[in-house]
Amino acid sequence: MIIVIDGLNRHRYDRLLDEMFALRARVFGERLGWDVNITNGREIDQFDTLDPAYVIGVDDDGQVVSCVRALQTTGPHMLSEVFHEILDGDAPLRSATLWESTRFCVDTETLNHGKSRNSVSYATCELMIGSLEYAKNSGISDIVTVIDPIMNRVLKRSDCAPYDYIGKTTPMGKVSAMAALLDCTDERINRLRAFAGITDDVFVSAERAEQLSDQSDQFALSHNLFGLGTETRASLYAR
Amino acid sequence: MAVIDLSKLPFPDNDLEKFLDSVCETHELDFAAYAGMNPVTQTVHGFVNYPQEWQTHYVNQNYVNRDPTLLLAKRSIAPVDWQRLRQEPSFDMVFSDAHDFGISDQGLTIPVRGPFGDIGLFSVTRKCSAHDWALLKAKILGDLQQAAVHLHDHVIQSEALSSVLGPPALSAREIEILQWTAAGKSQQDTADILSISHRTIEVHLRSAREKLGALTTAQAIGRAISRGLIYPA
Repeated sequence: MIIVIDGLNRHRYDRLLDEMFALRARVFGERLGWDVNITNGREIDQFDTLDPAYVIGVDDDGQVVSCVRALQTTGPHMLSEVFHEILDGDAPLRSATLWESTRFCVDTETLNHGKSRNSVSYATCELMIGSLEYAKNSGISDIVTVIDPIMNRVLKRSDCAPYDYIGKTTPMGKVSAMAALLDCTDERINRLRAFAGITDDVFVSAERAEQLSDQSDQFALSHNLFGLGTETRASLYAR
Repeated sequence: MAVIDLSKLPFPDNDLEKFLDSVCETHELDFAAYAGMNPVTQTVHGFVNYPQEWQTHYVNQNYVNRDPTLLLAKRSIAPVDWQRLRQEPSFDMVFSDAHDFGISDQGLTIPVRGPFGDIGLFSVTRKCSAHDWALLKAKILGDLQQAAVHLHDHVIQSEALSSVLGPPALSAREIEILQWTAAGKSQQDTADILSISHRTIEVHLRSAREKLGALTTAQAIGRAISRGLIYPA
């Protein structure tokens, strides 16, 4: 299921955010070898201090399996500030109805292959549907997303091919990065839903969102009972 | 923070209050309000078409420093339906008063983030059933987003500091598309000439219009020519 965490509710979701930053460290730091800052196994950059919106996929146990970060293109965002090479010195797009999505990733270590609920393919589609619907419901018409060629192939295979690209594909660590354009239309969302066989609402219910919050985090409590994950919890509660 | 009433400042070509009225009229809304926060000067620029009595009360009660539709909504990147703010103690305080002035607590705030750390908040309100509100919202949200950025950019660009920093630059693709449009080509023609999709043309044109502070493509062409960005064709 998908949960959206932004500047208004992030104080209630320390655990989910911490797991997300750890996932980003594994994906962008280790797997893709991008030049990112990793501290204590967490990848956090300057844009995370700007109150972005995070669209996060959690599995049935409440663990983070996918995430993406969204920012408005009218203000500071990655293509305007740090991804100069992709734009080759050109000015970035800036529009009220265009969002930028960055740090799109899924946990390929814990998820399996195939198309079941616990597969990479399902998690990717669910996250795509969640982020496109969140944007569309906010009056956004298009998304410019910074992705690597592997994610680009995954999008194409999921019947969600970008309709165009901005700038040029640029070497970045072990792989390269590119800026792709996606429309937030019902047609695209329906194609994705048909491909993944997802017909239900992908967003968590208010009740589930409450369960996932730090105050009533049953997943964290049960792990603490068995002495698992105590180190992570201790560092979280110490803040 | 000081409140500056923009209606008392001179704006040569645009009347901002009329702009709010026209947004309300076009989109079936009761009232609209804009508040721009400048991080450098630490000021809030207020501009509303609420009844005068409510404006006076709002200022007297110093609600600008407590109003959750400003203080909380600015941390979101998406429009914030006021429904989401109801559990805040400050919400009841402001809106039980607002009710006495005939102002509905059904509304939303669109946060706008500008390039200099400037933030604009565009709020609209409408008294109607929750069902009608949901339908109206889905219909007008994209237009409201554009209105919010248009208003915000206009206000920020009218400030001495920001006008020195200048408007955002156009990209090579945006200039190319404006040039073909000025030459009389349709969007489809331009798409064919440049071998890109119609949607790509649209996303660049929309971006170019907004960077030029124009509401229509024709207006954008005029501004691009007058700034020497494209040639008259």
